[in-house]
Amino acid sequence: MVLLQPDPFLNELTSMFERNSETGSVWVTLKRSSLKSKVQKNKMKTAGQPIEYRCLVRATDGKKTISTSVGAKDHQRFQASYATILKARMTALKKRERKDRKKGAEDKKESGSKKPKRV
Amino acid sequence: MVYIAAWDEFVERTVQLFRADPESTRYCMKYRHCDGKLVLKVTDNKECLKFKTDQAQEAKKMEKLNNIFFTLMARGPDVDMSEITGKEQMEAQPAKKGRGRKQ
Repeated sequence: MVLLQPDPFLNELTSMFERNSETGSVWVTLKRSSLKSKVQKNKMKTAGQPIEYRCLVRATDGKKTISTSVGAKDHQRFQASYATILKARMTALKKRERKDRKKGAEDKKESGSKKPKRV
Repeated sequence: MVYIAAWDEFVERTVQLFRADPESTRYCMKYRHCDGKLVLKVTDNKECLKFKTDQAQEAKKMEKLNNIFFTLMARGPDVDMSEITGKEQMEAQPAKKGRGRKQ
């Protein structure tokens, strides 16, 4: 498990998607975490210290695991870049819109062809 | 463990699950490019909610769920959700208009 900074993590994630494009899967997990052990957390609780939570992001393809943590300040920037990567890489999904467009076009053609017949 | 068919139900129940136990709930996405399949899973180790799709349209919706969970996890479960959902509605409306024009 390698804990990376957000930007190197996104780069690694991109290459992980590329490596698994022909075969294999990619898992990405989000979890709320303080990145501290239970013992540490208990110590902090008894000491009355506030526990800081961050969003832990982990990605794996079954062979390699990478991770990063995103705090309250930088999560918006990170999720924007993350969304861009997903959009660029998730190209194997079916596009339902096309079907809708075709159906819509057919309907229009039908209605269009009916009109001249009536005339 | 059963797949939830309706997207809105999935979103509602996953957010509820997270709010009930923020520290042990995780949100996992599995993407398989060669089969063109996407599976979303949210679990707190007691209950497990899953959603499966092969549609690009659902991936767009997933983006919004990603935003919800990033915000909830980074800022805390008590964050004002109306801020995020309000933005979503703003984004969703022009998208629908765009589709209409293309037809």
